[in-house]
Amino acid sequence: MNNNMEPPVTASLETSLGPMALEHPIINASGTFDALVADAVLAADLFEQFPFAAYVPKTVTLQPRAGNEPHRLYETAAGLLNSIGLANKGIENFIAEDLPRLAELPVPVIASVAGENTADYGRCCEMLDSRDEVTAVELNISCPNVELDGKALGCDPVRTEKATALARAATSKYLVVKLTPNVTDIVELAKAAEAGGADCISLINTVHGMALDPWTLKPALGHTTGGLSGPAVKPIALRAVYIVSRALDLPVIGMGGVTTAQDVLEFLAAGASAVAVGTASFRDPLLATRLAGELRDLMEIRGISSIAELVGSA
Amino acid sequence: MDAQLIPASLFDCPVVESRPVGAYRLISFVAREIAALARPGQFLMVRAAGQKLDPLLPRPLGVHEIDSDLVKVLIEPVGRGTISLAGMRVGDRLSVLGPLGNGFDMTGEGPAIVVGGGIGAAPLAFVARSLSARGRDVRCLLGFRSRGQAVVAELFRNLPVEVYTEDGSMGKKGLVSAPLSEMLCALDGTDSFSNNTSSAGDFPSEASSAETISGDSASSDDENSCAADTGMFPEIFACGPDPMLAAVDRICRDCGANAQVSVAAHMACGVGACQGCVIKTVDGYRRACSEGPVFPSTDIEW
Ligand SMILES: Cc1cc2nc3c(=O)[nH]c(=O)nc-3n(C[C@H](O)[C@H](O)[C@H](O)COP(=O)(O)OP(=O)(O)OC[C@H]3O[C@@H](n4cnc5c(N)ncnc54)[C@H](O)[C@@H]3O)c2cc1C
Ligand SMILES: Cc1cc2nc3c(=O)[nH]c(=O)nc-3n(C[C@H](O)[C@H](O)[C@H](O)COP(=O)(O)O)c2cc1C
Ligand code: FES
Repeated sequence: MNNNMEPPVTASLETSLGPMALEHPIINASGTFDALVADAVLAADLFEQFPFAAYVPKTVTLQPRAGNEPHRLYETAAGLLNSIGLANKGIENFIAEDLPRLAELPVPVIASVAGENTADYGRCCEMLDSRDEVTAVELNISCPNVELDGKALGCDPVRTEKATALARAATSKYLVVKLTPNVTDIVELAKAAEAGGADCISLINTVHGMALDPWTLKPALGHTTGGLSGPAVKPIALRAVYIVSRALDLPVIGMGGVTTAQDVLEFLAAGASAVAVGTASFRDPLLATRLAGELRDLMEIRGISSIAELVGSA
Repeated sequence: MDAQLIPASLFDCPVVESRPVGAYRLISFVAREIAALARPGQFLMVRAAGQKLDPLLPRPLGVHEIDSDLVKVLIEPVGRGTISLAGMRVGDRLSVLGPLGNGFDMTGEGPAIVVGGGIGAAPLAFVARSLSARGRDVRCLLGFRSRGQAVVAELFRNLPVEVYTEDGSMGKKGLVSAPLSEMLCALDGTDSFSNNTSSAGDFPSEASSAETISGDSASSDDENSCAADTGMFPEIFACGPDPMLAAVDRICRDCGANAQVSVAAHMACGVGACQGCVIKTVDGYRRACSEGPVFPSTDIEW
């Protein structure tokens, strides 16, 4: 042992997002990890030993949605194209069936909602406002697979601000707005969400993409186009986190291709206050159980003692 | 096809055998828990262990055979995932999540016809052996494009197998739907259910390197308990390309037989979380991974 070594740094992973005290900065990305399914299907006790610091369920909408025509998935180079189309049981069933069980989770629940128009966002938030199981609401204004009048609501700053304002008026819960990278100027959209009363920005949702079946040379997805996620989109996500976190005073939840503790470190340094893991959970459903510990190790090796010290340090 | 009761786990499994079987590759790995738990027709999500990010996700593979602590899978290399998996060699490690899915409902009685098309034959060896072990009279109809694929029939050692190829390069020329239709429609009289069955011993000599054959399977000698004799219609267990499964469904409807079919879909999570693997059924979209992959053929919208 080298006696001249500095005393080891003990890193604290604790952090917070508004009213949510988080044990560590790693949460899940909506639609990529289902706590109830994990509890029912996986032998590991992922419910009581919950690997994420907060839980974001799959986006729900006012009415149940069947989702898009199969195929809904296609893997590309270090990436995954999906066109699920927000298949979900509807917010009423979510509230009645899922929320009571999610109340048993040891971490805060960030409900994710989407609408067909700005008014839907207000209605969804109204329905969730009285539910103690829900600590925060994420407005998914960015799903590329359910475009109405050809354009995601989240591509239009005016409608983004309006949807956020209607949600803000309907709930006092911590309000997260999730942005799409499929826009010319993402900072403009983030500012619109801020103007509408958002408490936090999360980004990115999936990147528009397409693949052809190599045998038939026809679109590989039933919906023709889809959203790309996974390591392939990480540079796009990192840039979005970097520029939005610098342009706004709001905290940012960063995501897009996070697969390792090093990725978490980079997103925090780029400006994210918390980091979400999506597609990587499909690759390894137990990844999240290791990430926080690995993040602590990386911080200690670098002599970083707190998350606050790291956030935005890039 | 009851709901899944066995919890799945993630395992790191060393490959102990990797050899070509015609156009396919047979890979055996050590996975004691999966070997103990897996039921016929269940599948595994498999990828190369380690940090490589391409291919990114595991691929669904049916359990081909279980041999004490070993699990065997059969791989047809068709794209980025399966080509990488077919490249795994002895000493490499696999990341394996499983067992997953419902598997075939094996609780029925009476004769069974196992119908496979192409790589769809992979999970059916396990199915056919289990049916045999339950004392059911089993016949296997396996259809392939050509001899390159058809040689996998050698893996159905000691099971009564009839091979069909589209180009006639091995077994009989044609599709499996014709003999299936004949078998089921002939069940009005005296036709022997197990006629015309060749044993796997007839297959080419690639088979000779195979390890000792366990004696639990039906031999082609006890051919006498035909469906008509026992008054029982055979139950069909099928896995293969959609057009083949659709044909099986049509034939079974016409003849009043029940068919369970194992369907294929692209998957990401494999456990029912992502909604990515849905197929069209009479009850709307259902997830192939968690509500299947085995469905009554009449549930599927073909
Ligand atoms: C429950 C279940 C069990 C399975 N069991 C097995 C198994 O035991 N062994 C096995 O090898 N596979 C099995 N499969 C299929 C296997 O998972 C897929 O072939 C694999 O996911 C394809 O991934 P890939 O990356 O190799 O190909 P990709 O690059 O994802 O796909 C290649 C493309 O080619 C198409 N394609 C695939 N095969 C052909 C073909 N022969 N002719 C024309 N087009 C084709 C595909 O639809 C796809 O669009 C199973 C699938 C399921 C759902
Ligand atoms: C299969 C799948 C389903 C998704 N469903 C949703 C969803 O319902 N709501 C949402 O806001 N984002 C959804 N996303 C986007 C992810 O939450 C995340 O923003 C994106 O995948 C980027 O992160 P990743 O690269 O870590 O996956 C989905 C992504 C995938 C791959
Ligand atoms: S593969 Fe995710 S739901 Fe079936």
